[in-house]
Amino acid sequence: MKTLEELKQMIHEKFEIDTATLKPDAPLADYGLDSLSLAELLFTVEEHFDVDIPDNRQDVNTLASLAELIDGLRVPQHA
Amino acid sequence: MRRRVAVTGIGLVSPHGETPDGVFDALLIGLSAITRWDEADAAPAAVARAPFDVTRWFTRLQLAGVDRVSQFAVAAAEMARADAGLNTLDEGTGVYLGTGMGGAAAIEEAFRSHQISGRVPPLTVPAFMANAAAAHIAMRAKLHGPVFTYSIACASSAVALAEAAKAIACGEVDCALAGGSEALLQPSALRAWQAMQTLATPALDDPSQACRPFSADRTGLVLGEGAAVLLLEAYDAALARGARIYAEFAGSGISCDATHLTKPDASGQARALAAALRNSGLAPGDIGYCNAHGTATRIGDPVECEALGRVWGDALAGLAVSSTKSMHGHLLGAAGALEAAISVMALHRRALPPNMHCEQPDPLCKVALVREAGMAAPHLRAAISNSFAFGGTNAVLVFRRSD
Repeated sequence: MKTLEELKQMIHEKFEIDTATLKPDAPLADYGLDSLSLAELLFTVEEHFDVDIPDNRQDVNTLASLAELIDGLRVPQHA
Repeated sequence: MRRRVAVTGIGLVSPHGETPDGVFDALLIGLSAITRWDEADAAPAAVARAPFDVTRWFTRLQLAGVDRVSQFAVAAAEMARADAGLNTLDEGTGVYLGTGMGGAAAIEEAFRSHQISGRVPPLTVPAFMANAAAAHIAMRAKLHGPVFTYSIACASSAVALAEAAKAIACGEVDCALAGGSEALLQPSALRAWQAMQTLATPALDDPSQACRPFSADRTGLVLGEGAAVLLLEAYDAALARGARIYAEFAGSGISCDATHLTKPDASGQARALAAALRNSGLAPGDIGYCNAHGTATRIGDPVECEALGRVWGDALAGLAVSSTKSMHGHLLGAAGALEAAISVMALHRRALPPNMHCEQPDPLCKVALVREAGMAAPHLRAAISNSFAFGGTNAVLVFRRSD
């Protein structure tokens, strides 16, 4: 859950979207994120969490799936 | 059949602010917006920054991949539309926008992050591409007509305005947002200009007087940033809707020196000046004011005066000349549009902004400079605005009063 909260905070800081309105399973498009702003978000995510999101996994469309993806990518680094 | 063209809206993001009257008032009293640029390990420079509140125009979400140059352009275009008294624009309205460098902040950030981490922000390309600013104007106002970008160095936005006026005159479009935007006050861009030995050396105590066009002691140009967009429309349509007409866009003249990439050429400039008079059907004696290119470089100012002298001849003494770059700096790709707006305001207000910081004019610059602030021009009927570019392209715009 910690990753999800960090993500919410990041989206709030980057796009000024109220964290209270961010739902884990709602499509990111619902908040006005299009393919361009999603690309920016993923870049920031990579910088912040020090992960490298593979090209074939860049189709995430909810916060929950993005958090899951990040956690999955971070596990090997901590091992 | 050539249609007449009216200027009915002015939108500005400039070193002197955003309202046409406010900007003109500041210029009229000779107020310089030039300040000092300090950066570690670099020689000091003088610059003219545009005060700008982006939150008035974009949400944070909308700002993804939108460079400062596009932010300026959208704001200026929106203000031009509103200033013309229009809530919406016809979807066939054209966009004709000049820019010299495009998204300089995005380029700076891309190279910086490439050096540091090897990773470049994903929206770098759409942010810096030259036509992004025009595209953002079109998307914001939902315009589906011609959307063109002109990158012709310091003549970019003057050419954009000339092309827009031609498109209206020949009936291709009825209305146009035309002008330019430039936002290159970034460390590497500034150093590149410094490296070319063209920038003014600011006095330590007072950088505001760094730009001294036509002065014997001038040392070079001062870079500025901002955007200016004019709303142009068919004259009869403007009359029919009861619009305030600032001035008529009377004509333009364009030429290329084809002699040297950066060295100005009096013959080329004279060709553009003569073409502008022909195109507008006016004689030298009809023109009361010239907003000069006047960048304050050693080589440029005398060449412009020589070109004016060749075309104006004996009428030169009756042509009041000032370079307002002495106060707002050189906006490069937006310079022609800002100075066109100032020329239009000079006609509208019948007053001439001064050529500042020139106590001792260069003997090689034999033109009648506007030496005093607040000069009224009750008989002013027509004005020209000069823009002469690296690359050799010269553009001269002609405006005249609508009454």
